[in-house]
Amino acid sequence: MNPNPPATTVAAIELTDLVKTFKGARGERVRAVSGIDLRVESGEIVAFLGPNGAGKTTTLDMVLGLTNPDSGTVRVFGERPRRAIDTGTVSAVLQTGGLLRDLTVREIVRMIASTYRTHTDVDEVIDRAGLRKLVGRKVSKCSGGEQQRLRFALALLPDPRLLILDEPTAGMDVSARRDFWDTMHADASAGRTVIFATHYLEEADMFADRIVLVAGGRVVADGTTAEVRGRASGRTVSANLPRRSAAEAITTLRGAPGVQSVDERGERVVVTATDSDAVARMLLNDLGGTDVEIVTASLEQAFMALTGDPSTDDNPISSASALDSGDNDLSSKELAR
Amino acid sequence: MNPTYTLLEMRRITRNYTNMFFTAVLPAFFYIIFGAATDYKNENIGNGNVAMYIMIGMAAYGAVIATTNIGGNAALERQQGWGRQLGLTPLTDAGYIGMKAVIAMTVAAIPIALVYVLGVLTGAKGSPMAWLVSAVVCLLASSIFALYGLLVGTALPSEAAVGAASGSIVIFAFLGNLFIPLSGVMLTIAKFTPLYGYAGLARYPLTEGYLVDGTQDPLWLPLLNVLVWFAIFGIGAVYFVRRGRERQ
Repeated sequence: MNPNPPATTVAAIELTDLVKTFKGARGERVRAVSGIDLRVESGEIVAFLGPNGAGKTTTLDMVLGLTNPDSGTVRVFGERPRRAIDTGTVSAVLQTGGLLRDLTVREIVRMIASTYRTHTDVDEVIDRAGLRKLVGRKVSKCSGGEQQRLRFALALLPDPRLLILDEPTAGMDVSARRDFWDTMHADASAGRTVIFATHYLEEADMFADRIVLVAGGRVVADGTTAEVRGRASGRTVSANLPRRSAAEAITTLRGAPGVQSVDERGERVVVTATDSDAVARMLLNDLGGTDVEIVTASLEQAFMALTGDPSTDDNPISSASALDSGDNDLSSKELAR
Repeated sequence: MNPTYTLLEMRRITRNYTNMFFTAVLPAFFYIIFGAATDYKNENIGNGNVAMYIMIGMAAYGAVIATTNIGGNAALERQQGWGRQLGLTPLTDAGYIGMKAVIAMTVAAIPIALVYVLGVLTGAKGSPMAWLVSAVVCLLASSIFALYGLLVGTALPSEAAVGAASGSIVIFAFLGNLFIPLSGVMLTIAKFTPLYGYAGLARYPLTEGYLVDGTQDPLWLPLLNVLVWFAIFGIGAVYFVRRGRERQ
């Protein structure tokens, strides 16, 4: 499948100390991306997860050569982004790629196809993107989900080794999102490297085998989906401590195995740990803790903790539909003495 | 050159019937009113007659409206995200501009052809050289105004920009001696405006530079006017396109 054998050494994407600043509204410099290092191997499916304004789109724009970095380097299969675009090595479904509304679906596919020296057959990409019934429809008459499938068809034209999707399902309703990912799943067997930006945890969980969490223009967590979920499966144990021994108890807790953090909130102490039962036992038996409560951290909480993003109402992460509902149930058990 | 892309673009443009009507039919209508239907149409001017003089002016007007529109719409479609979509393809900026220029001149050929055919039918007279050279100048130099449309469309990023660009062409057309012959101070001012050189050059083989008030423009005047405005529109368009790209 790969004509250039050393694919094991050439990364699909290699970002080195990538920095990009923009001029803000009042002329000040805003750092959209401040020092991202990232290596994506050939064949990986990576979710680029982060809140709005985390620098996801800016980073992906630099991978695609749509924006030049202020400093740092981008390599796509060892090539400069513009060269990778020219050779059809990389393609993308953009969040804001405007389409020509007065063309039909088939015309726009033909139009983009004509810019490549060699490309996948127009009818083949139409079928693969599930657009067969829409070929004669004007783009302006297509729904948001249909337009996104059309962008997907356009991205398939050069048969890219690396496919980038920038929030491909933003603004779609649940069923349109499902349709889009079904189409994507059907294509994933091709062995393509896929990197997609999203702020839907559910999508990252379902489709990616690696999650890169970005916030404030930096990578704050990077691991397999299982690893990132592992970090999320830590539990929070909280209890009231007797005032006179509180300081000593906190020191003991900080030193206990598996404890990630210890916070004081008034009289209560809040402990995040991998082994919540051990912490609870310690609190009840040794430290004189009362009103002990154990709460499962949700993927959402892990995300908040890692990205430092306060849970605000307008944040899409906190909307119920965006969450992995299985992990979101705050299962708490009261332990009475 | 990409024939598939160019043909699909042509299909897009010709599908917009309202625009096509105003592009193709309005200059022809103007020619009938201001040229073919007048009493003085058979009076002699230079190497031809008044009908010919007005015919060239209206063809030039139609051509420039067409190319300005195409330039303005190109700016608009780029801002609305098509530029990013094309940025994902091997198509270069130069390739895109080249294609748009070919499309602009192809569309500009429609009003020119229509007005010239009406001219033939309604008694416009001129030397074969005047017919040929005026048509060629009308066509080729109209592409300069595609740059003007691109410049205005990029500098004023809104849908109103295309309208502003076309609307300003009407003003420039008056100042360019396309509709009514100017004289005195107005004529002096007009010589610095962008359509004056274009129209003067297209009419040169007919009038040899003689104006309605009896004065004569030397050939270098319309030529210099065209070249200077070409440079201004070209540099301006490049500047605003770059600035627009930085902002995203």
